[in-house]
Amino acid sequence: MKDKSIRWGLPILLILIALPAVVQDTFFLRVITEAIMWIGLALAFDVLAGYTGYLNFGHGAFFGLGAYTTAILMMQAHWPFALALPMGGVLAGVGALVAGLPTLRLKGAYFAIATWALSRAVQQLALIMDITGGPDGMRLPSFLNPQFFYYLMLAIVAVTFALLWFLLECSPFGLKLKAIREDDQGAMALGLNPTKLKMQAFILSAVPTGILGGVYAYWITFIDPASTLGDLVSDQALVMVVFGGMGTLVGPVIGALLIFAFKTLFWAYLSDFQLLYLIILGAVIALSVVFIPNGLWGTLRGLRSHKKSEEKKDESLAAKLPQNEGE
Amino acid sequence: MAEPILQVNSVTKCFGGLTAVNNVSFEVQQGEIIGLLGPNGAGKTTLFNVISGFYAPTSGTIIFNGKDISGKPPYTLADRGIGRTFQVVKPFAGLTVLENIIIASFLRYPKRKEAERHAWKILENTGLADRADVSAASLTLAGRKRLEIGKALALEPTFLLLDEVVAGLNPTEADKTVELILELKKQGMTILIVEHIMRVIMNISDRLVVLNFGEKIAEGTAAEVARNPLVIEAYLGEAAA
Ligand SMILES: Nc1ncnc2c1ncn2[C@@H]1O[C@H](COP(=O)(O)OP(=O)(O)O)[C@@H](O)[C@H]1O
Ligand SMILES: [Mg+2]
Repeated sequence: MKDKSIRWGLPILLILIALPAVVQDTFFLRVITEAIMWIGLALAFDVLAGYTGYLNFGHGAFFGLGAYTTAILMMQAHWPFALALPMGGVLAGVGALVAGLPTLRLKGAYFAIATWALSRAVQQLALIMDITGGPDGMRLPSFLNPQFFYYLMLAIVAVTFALLWFLLECSPFGLKLKAIREDDQGAMALGLNPTKLKMQAFILSAVPTGILGGVYAYWITFIDPASTLGDLVSDQALVMVVFGGMGTLVGPVIGALLIFAFKTLFWAYLSDFQLLYLIILGAVIALSVVFIPNGLWGTLRGLRSHKKSEEKKDESLAAKLPQNEGE
Repeated sequence: MAEPILQVNSVTKCFGGLTAVNNVSFEVQQGEIIGLLGPNGAGKTTLFNVISGFYAPTSGTIIFNGKDISGKPPYTLADRGIGRTFQVVKPFAGLTVLENIIIASFLRYPKRKEAERHAWKILENTGLADRADVSAASLTLAGRKRLEIGKALALEPTFLLLDEVVAGLNPTEADKTVELILELKKQGMTILIVEHIMRVIMNISDRLVVLNFGEKIAEGTAAEVARNPLVIEAYLGEAAA
């Protein structure tokens, strides 16, 4: 069944394009820019988690790879941002190819652990290498134009959403990934090559994540191994996707918005209790796995289609009644 | 006689110390239905897995349409024309019945629209059309076995492996599936079928191959095989156990 919620896409996009004209407050624009970034990260995470059935705890490493590639190319090789940024995406894609070869053979928890370990290794590398600035991180030239970053982030996430919509919801690719998620042996018997499809999904997940990392680096103007290569990106994307609804494109958007809004409010009013934030994040994921295993969007959609099928049943019953009388 | 569509040449498959299939050879001609018989654990499913590419044979070769396919992966063999069902059914449980068949249809109809059109045809032919929009998880066992056949047929195979697609069904459902198999036979499909229900296997097979403890103990028409003392012993032995 095709999801009709795409028709909301264009109006929402138009509102977002007009937004900076209304919102003059730069703090607020910053918050929205970051919210859009998280939508993109959650969407990319869901390609592998929801559609393909692989929890990638190394998602943050792709983000960091994009951030560092962009920063290094700009600072060491003096590339312009416009060229350095796409290379961030390319390198994240190459990273996915290299990391995917050994890890995509693993299943379930083993894949999660292996990707987590690899991302820790990448973080260690960034800590000891010279070119990355080690633990001190890297500073980028500051380009103080909030509108620019808002529109750039919006454009990248909108294109990512449209691309994923086309590939995962309209073209055969999405169904093929779901077949692998459900039963890879059964999928193989039907002519599908799981290794190839999983690799494509992994790269599709990594490239936008790397590009978002590159934008983030130039926008925030400072990156270090703790902030860009830590666990937070993977963990938070996971919570957003699980809470919003895995295996859909609307779910991660809803999840990202709600979790990010919560995070922002929490940081604004309760910044002394950072540990509490992580505890709540953990509780949210545990509770949503138990009580709404399909996430907010999956649950809502389930209720809606249930109602529709009830209505249909009534209709078909009504259609049959006169015939029964005639018999 | 024309070249056989399938040649199984001295195939052996071991799992560690266990020889599940032991030096088995037989041929299948174009358009034939071969029944594969044998007590539980005889190695029938393992042989299916070797022929369909899920296991590489430990030794021996599988020749399909004149080409050695031993060790080729299942997705390549699906493309070459081998369709199979699983004894332990493998529905894509979280997807609808229609989506299950559409996925199988992509092999011959890579475009979404055409795959869907083809899938509806398969649903009609296998009697699943009225279940198209329900999730595969909610099907009964009979429905799931039907879905297995539907998915295999959606590949438009030239050679079909059916692993206990009748077992576990009630008599009415079983008759429907037998009817479907006979219809496929009429259309000239080549089939290798595993089934325990004698009435079924005797009815539809042109020839039988019997395995016991991984070895081929008999081959021939139903009457020939039924007279074979090794076969009688294998089955009586099982009944006595
Ligand atoms: N993947 C496997 N690993 C180890 N042993 C197996 C495996 N598959 C089957 N076997 C063993 O091989 C033998 C033949 O099994 P199988 O081919 O399923 O028999 P059948 O289908 O004739 O009932 C059995 O002893 C079974 O336990
Ligand atoms: Mg078996």
